[in-house]
Amino acid sequence: MFLAMALPNLVLIGTFTYWPLINNIYYSTLDWTLGSASATVVGLQNYVTFFTSEDASKVLGTTAIFTLVTVGGSMVLGLLVALALNSKVRGTTFARSAVFAPYVLSGVGVGLVWLFIFDPGYGVLAWILRGFGQQSPQWINDPQLSLVMVIIVYVWKNLGYCAVVYLAGLQSLPRDVMEAAALDGANTARRFFNISVPLLSPTTFFLLITTMLSSLQAFDLIRIMTPLGNGTSTLIYEAYLQAFGAYNRAGYSAAISVILFAILLIITVLQLRFVERKVHYS
Amino acid sequence: MRSNLDRRHFLGLAGLGAGAAALAACGGPSTAGTADAVDTATIDFSGVKPAASIDFWTNHPGKSQDVEKAIIEKFHAKYPDIKVNLVTAGANYEEIAQKFQTSQAAKTGLPGLVVLSDVWWFRYFSNGSIIPIDGLVKQLDIKIDDFQKSLVDDYKYDNKQWALPYGRSTPLFYYNKDHFKAAGLPDRAPATWQEFADWAPKLKATSGAQYAYIYPALAGYAGWTLQNNLWGWGGSWSKDWDITCDSPQSVAALQWAQDSIYKDGWAGVSSKEAADDFAAGITSSTISSTGSLLGVLKAAKFNVGVGFLPGGPEAPSGVCPTGGAGLGIPSGISKEEQLAAATFLKFMTEPDNTAAFSAATGYMPTRLSADMSAVLAATPQIKTAMDQLAATKVQDNARVFLPGADQEMAKAAAKILTQQGDVQATMTDLKKTLEGIYNKDVKPKLKA
Repeated sequence: MFLAMALPNLVLIGTFTYWPLINNIYYSTLDWTLGSASATVVGLQNYVTFFTSEDASKVLGTTAIFTLVTVGGSMVLGLLVALALNSKVRGTTFARSAVFAPYVLSGVGVGLVWLFIFDPGYGVLAWILRGFGQQSPQWINDPQLSLVMVIIVYVWKNLGYCAVVYLAGLQSLPRDVMEAAALDGANTARRFFNISVPLLSPTTFFLLITTMLSSLQAFDLIRIMTPLGNGTSTLIYEAYLQAFGAYNRAGYSAAISVILFAILLIITVLQLRFVERKVHYS
Repeated sequence: MRSNLDRRHFLGLAGLGAGAAALAACGGPSTAGTADAVDTATIDFSGVKPAASIDFWTNHPGKSQDVEKAIIEKFHAKYPDIKVNLVTAGANYEEIAQKFQTSQAAKTGLPGLVVLSDVWWFRYFSNGSIIPIDGLVKQLDIKIDDFQKSLVDDYKYDNKQWALPYGRSTPLFYYNKDHFKAAGLPDRAPATWQEFADWAPKLKATSGAQYAYIYPALAGYAGWTLQNNLWGWGGSWSKDWDITCDSPQSVAALQWAQDSIYKDGWAGVSSKEAADDFAAGITSSTISSTGSLLGVLKAAKFNVGVGFLPGGPEAPSGVCPTGGAGLGIPSGISKEEQLAAATFLKFMTEPDNTAAFSAATGYMPTRLSADMSAVLAATPQIKTAMDQLAATKVQDNARVFLPGADQEMAKAAAKILTQQGDVQATMTDLKKTLEGIYNKDVKPKLKA
């Protein structure tokens, strides 16, 4: 009975997720130019090429910076926004919708609008800076600023998700504990850091896993805002550029995808094994 | 608790695998050592009946969707048995190439005719993705001698013709006539960059624009437009297959470009599209494709002048590269489809149609016998692009034949022009990268 119920999903996941995954691992052992009908088996050479190239440190470094800053930024800002939304003031229903809206918007649309804002020539930001007699930074052409730009937009787009999840967590905190702490003389900051934060740890743990997986797989904003990937080439974008960009190195790209897969797997397992021990479920 | 973690873990893994799906969904290659090269001796179209329907994949270069539609309607009237489906296969040459390469890998959904840019056709050839069209040229009596020789020769390799020119362009020097007049400058493009360096401070002082000159967007085709600067200073990206981007001449050219931004302060770098920046009045001048001409003329609220690309201290003229796109026929479709595609290719490149395409976009007419009198009466600036063709040079091998070279050149240019990176060190690094691409991806595929 269980098998009969699970079979359709297993077939779908097997066909569209695990079969491509296995195929991809096989492709990572080939020297294959995308579009070519033939390829050569090279074993682990693509992995060796990646890890011995200068690009590896750049790509891994960019991935680490992008992931850590976007995960940290989305979660910290999301928590602050959730605290604001949790207060009993007028307009919180509208504010909740406004904060969550960017999360459900198309990444392509968001990227295009923010490109207009950041454009150093005729962007909104450049216009404001000119009002103060300042030139706009080269957000789009300067690789370092490009990464900052993409991170800002990514955090803006995703903090609403963290805010809504944190808000749900805050609203489910036991009132009696908070009231008891207040009666015992704990001030707001102490109640927040010593009671709310530990009790929110299941929410934090859930967000840590989901936002980290999401950040490591972020693609649309990077593709739209920095098509060249200059300074913004994370592992997943580098895999895209190598296969479907100008280089057409499909085997090498597959190897980068496998490396990304391994990193995601390791992070998830580590989080499940070690971080979860710090989680208070009640 | 345990069951929750398992489910999450399982779904997590499902998510992780999704990234690989795009590549793995493509059909796999053979590892049995089969050659990519198309066996041209076996292509014989005698007795073949054209297919009833083909797709034409285009990115509508120069906003040409309407004129492409009009030409296809004319084709349907003349050849009612062949239906051509106009397919928007990308927003630029890279996106169309991505779709074409992916279809090649998937071995399905290929078009009859595809737009292929100057940097992509050779890769299609080396992958065996397109057929040589010599047999079709002969069978359909395509007047190859009536094409602009330099443009048609761009698609020759191994004594075969692999495509025909379509939306072919050169960079043009665009200038704001009103700004030039206000600065007391002559109504023409500068003859050399040194002359423009004398003009630029006057322009900056009087025009009110942010820049006297804006370098084209680096994420676009920096390798193409900077070719002009390199040649002007006696440098190049490469000479034949020797990478020469770190030569003293090449470094001097890019040092001058960097100085125009950081030391002299009259130049900037476009973030998106230099032609749009120019039309918006942000800069007094720029370099952009002839394919942008009609768009600029339509959008600009000032008098637009165009001229030949300026020369440099070592080469005052003959410093303009050709560029743009041609049309090719895939190898992975039936002979019937290839014949139908060639019939449409012949029609698409006929003198009347190339003139109509040129009138709508600003791209150069590819046929010598194209009657351009009406077009030039309406848009005399196109004449400059046509005249400049005589002063063009074929681009350096490194830019057009090395996969990804254009992107690497753009990254190097970004380092020099937006981060004030050391020019010599950047070019030395670029040389190393380009040589690596050549040795790995190109050298093994070259004919002896």
